[in-house]
Amino acid sequence: MEVDREDGRSQNQLRPLACSRNNLHRAHGSASWSQGDTKVLAAVYGPKAGTKKNENPEKACIEVIWKPKTGQIGKLEKEYEMILKRTLQSICILTVNPNTTTSVIIQVANDDGALLPSAINAACMALVDAGIPTRHLAVSICCCVARSGLVVLDPTKLEEQKMKAFAYLVFPNSVHSVLPEGSPSGQGEPIQNGIITSVTHGIMSVDDYFYCLERGRAASTKLSDFLRKNLQQQSTDSSKAG
Amino acid sequence: MEGRISNAWRLTVNDKNFIKTALLSEIRIDGRKPFEYRKISIKFDRGDGSSEVQIGQTRVMGIVTAQLIQPYKDRPKEGTLSIFTEFSPMADPSFEPGRPGELAVELGRIIDRGLRESRAVDTESLCILAGKYVWAIRIDLHILDNGGNLVDAANIAALAALLTYLRPECSLGGEDGQEVIVHPPEIREPLPLTVHHLPIAITFGFFGNEGILLIDPTHNEEAVMGGRMTMTVNANGDICAIQKGGGEGVPQRVIMKCLQLATSKAASITKQIKDAVEAFNTERALRKIKRHPTSTGVDVRQKQNQ
Repeated sequence: MEVDREDGRSQNQLRPLACSRNNLHRAHGSASWSQGDTKVLAAVYGPKAGTKKNENPEKACIEVIWKPKTGQIGKLEKEYEMILKRTLQSICILTVNPNTTTSVIIQVANDDGALLPSAINAACMALVDAGIPTRHLAVSICCCVARSGLVVLDPTKLEEQKMKAFAYLVFPNSVHSVLPEGSPSGQGEPIQNGIITSVTHGIMSVDDYFYCLERGRAASTKLSDFLRKNLQQQSTDSSKAG
Repeated sequence: MEGRISNAWRLTVNDKNFIKTALLSEIRIDGRKPFEYRKISIKFDRGDGSSEVQIGQTRVMGIVTAQLIQPYKDRPKEGTLSIFTEFSPMADPSFEPGRPGELAVELGRIIDRGLRESRAVDTESLCILAGKYVWAIRIDLHILDNGGNLVDAANIAALAALLTYLRPECSLGGEDGQEVIVHPPEIREPLPLTVHHLPIAITFGFFGNEGILLIDPTHNEEAVMGGRMTMTVNANGDICAIQKGGGEGVPQRVIMKCLQLATSKAASITKQIKDAVEAFNTERALRKIKRHPTSTGVDVRQKQNQ
């Protein structure tokens, strides 16, 4: 059963992705990520001296500030800040710079569905641009379950509202191993099959959820390739001067 | 708390002296002349009423939204215009999240006075039902990158966003004509706001020794300058607002000179804004025309009958 999507995409097709790094001059790292019409700007300042009050000074601390497009900051923004903070904490190597704070600031330029996944992707690119040490990157995707039971990737805002349930999933990026296939390196496996963050809204059956995870992981490979190509291209371009 | 102070950005003494000495020979550190503006670029987002302005390295985003509210009791036939300035921590490591600091409040007030009190935006056309429903226009200014001279950039962003914003059309209905029906953009074309004139803010920096004056300071020059003045003028030569909050004193003839400079700069910036808005409106109209072939593809037979 095919789902009719307004912009003519198939159920597994992502919107056109666009990403640029080093947009801002004062910030140590910055990135802009857009999926279709959803556009998010991320800036990173860090590491700065000192940690916040209740944070562990033996580790680096990550602070996330979410700025919505318009209106005051409410509970939804605080929730996004918390999810983003925990996701970034799991990918950054916190023991490299103890007793420091890295601030990640997210500015929503336009919201047309899949806002949190775009923000996570933008934040990862900004962290790379700032040179914050990370174990691996995170790629994020939104999967939703339609009323008919079909799983659709990367919905627009209208689609999100009509769906029965949707899930924001964050996976570690796919690994391009230097070692040949089938070599005895047990380390590769766990990372590729891991899932960092999952936030669901609405009711979905267990089978639907596992199907979402499967589709999400497949899409995350495509996103990882896009990220890798983008980062390699920009690193061979002019080097950043100060 | 000590961590915060050590994180603040400070210009070194050598840098400050270099800037001041160079200015004595009328050279600015980015190669401009004292009365030269940096390159201004005005871009619009796909949505209506969303602009991004860049002056050199300074970047500001302006977003306009509207809501139906009850008018103030003493002005039942006028809509309202409110400006919210966000000094995002993205722009400068010294900007803290939370309550707006002095600079943010001052910036908001300068732009507010320039737009609202000079009646640049026609608030009477925002009234739908006197005493009951009026449009409240809200302008959000997000400072993304602080490269100096935030006031001018934010002002242009606000103006550009206002000129490209389209508010939904609404009509009176209901049993006694007292209910307001807001039409979605697909049913009825949304309308632009009525803007009478464009107040442009021009900022000057004063350096005490030798009475040095320059226009459009960068953030390095802002850290060195002794005083600043912002003049909001429009292309007709009307003064909408002048703000000089403390700092060193300047003689009257310098103020008059600044006024003349400001008027000439305002004319060129107004033209630039109007050209950018014009280009965006054309592009938006073209986009609308392109949508029609796909939507009326099925109804070809009906069209031919007409």
